[in-house]
Amino acid sequence: MMMNEQKQARSEGSAFWLLVPAILLLIGLFGYPLLKVLITSILDPGFTLAHYLRILDRPIYLTVLARTVEVSLIVTALCFLLGYPAAYYLAHCPPRLRTYLFLLILLPMWTSLLIRSYSWIVVLGKNGVINLGLIQLGLIAEPLQMLYTTGTVYLAMVQILLPIMILTCYGVMIKIDQGLVRAARVLGASAWRAFATVYFPLSLAGVSTGAVIIFILAMGFFVTPALVGSRQDIMLGNLIETQINQAVNLGFASALGLLLLAATIAVVMLFRAVMRWRFSHASV
Amino acid sequence: MHPSDDPGWAGKGWSMAFTAYFILLLIYLLLPLLIVIPVSFGEDQWLQFPPTSLSLRWYRSYFSDPGFIAATFTSFWIACVVSALATVIGTVTALGLSRTRFRGKSLLYGFIIAPMVIPIIIFALALFILFNQLKMTGSVAGLILAHVVLALPFPVLIVSAALEQFDTTLERAGRILGATPLRVFLHITLPYLAPAALASAIFSFFVSFDELVIALFITGRWDTLPKRIWSDLRLEIDPTIAAVAAILIAITLIGITAGELLRRWAMARAAN
Repeated sequence: MMMNEQKQARSEGSAFWLLVPAILLLIGLFGYPLLKVLITSILDPGFTLAHYLRILDRPIYLTVLARTVEVSLIVTALCFLLGYPAAYYLAHCPPRLRTYLFLLILLPMWTSLLIRSYSWIVVLGKNGVINLGLIQLGLIAEPLQMLYTTGTVYLAMVQILLPIMILTCYGVMIKIDQGLVRAARVLGASAWRAFATVYFPLSLAGVSTGAVIIFILAMGFFVTPALVGSRQDIMLGNLIETQINQAVNLGFASALGLLLLAATIAVVMLFRAVMRWRFSHASV
Repeated sequence: MHPSDDPGWAGKGWSMAFTAYFILLLIYLLLPLLIVIPVSFGEDQWLQFPPTSLSLRWYRSYFSDPGFIAATFTSFWIACVVSALATVIGTVTALGLSRTRFRGKSLLYGFIIAPMVIPIIIFALALFILFNQLKMTGSVAGLILAHVVLALPFPVLIVSAALEQFDTTLERAGRILGATPLRVFLHITLPYLAPAALASAIFSFFVSFDELVIALFITGRWDTLPKRIWSDLRLEIDPTIAAVAAILIAITLIGITAGELLRRWAMARAAN
């Protein structure tokens, strides 16, 4: 028995080596560079807070930050509202059909983000499919301005991020024990009450995972706002890109990057705290 | 609806409404992409749907543009290398994670998944600063390694899921019967993991092939395909992009369907 345990420990020790390549790669190309961002933001070349003070200097940076948070929150909420019923449908449709529907959700998710943004230009542009169609039908004389508006930014961002919410909710819903819902019904709960008090709380884990991932990804968006939004729709990501590719001000870009990261983490932690508080009260 | 799946509150009317809703949502997710395909076969300078006359003009324009072809080729071979590296490292990591127990394992797991769920622009900024310091801006190896980090969560997650259901008694039986650890790995573990690894390779390929933001920051002068599309879209929108988009959509359709079917096969086989 003793020998067996020793043998197991030894084989675990050698299995540990299997983790080394990934750990080295992640430290060298992920952990360390992120630390470099922090350091770069407070050096110029000696210690300074100048980059952070510059953010406060002009209102544009905080205005753009506020708008970035606002857009990301609205996109996350829309993804939940649209995605939750879809995930429910997917989790409760016949298994044979499920495989195909699942693929139809995966396909847009894996199509290049650039191409998905571009497809909205084809559909909504001045010479786009909808405008030409409406003109041919004689419904409008002049093309409608749909592209380069805030509405289109939402339309495109939700389309890009929605599959993530559907998949995370689906992953949790498929594991919910339907017996619990039936038990609630047998005990006299209305269909709606059984859903609201039994099913929905059980599915919240999927909702919150999806919401957190979507919010984080939305905060870093810059391709879609740049391609389909107006000048007023720029997000913090666009400002960072400008600092890197045009101004080449690494210190300031780093300060903006950390501002973005800090705001993201703050909102995610607040969201988690609210969910936990709601949960502990709901279960009483 | 399957009786065991029926939550008991979805009546027939509800179920119809749900189906209609789901179809509308699929249209929202897929229609813009599908429209690009017929539009790309148009003749005119202005995109039209349906196209007034069919032609391959924009496809010719794509295939005869050396810049586009070079960028496509670059993206393709980089994605192949990334796919191979990420799949090997990811499989090895998943094996390591399944065979060890240690404090902080979930922390390591979180660390591996992190590049997938951090705003990509911050990751790109961090790499830009690193490569700038190392004087490696414009390095192909740098881009490949960065993409490997970005793709790594997929092989780790997919292979881990397959390993969860792997019966290790087969390996032990092999060892008891006198096979070397290498032989056991090559004849038992590896064939078992092959479908999951292949699915991982396909998904990793697309992570790299479609990646724009990191490439935009660290490649300097040379183009990848997404970078070239991006700069074209910012200048003027030439219908050549429609042809490129249609080709990419078709490749994604085939690749992702194959990847997903392989992943499902790997899981179903593991369950038996």
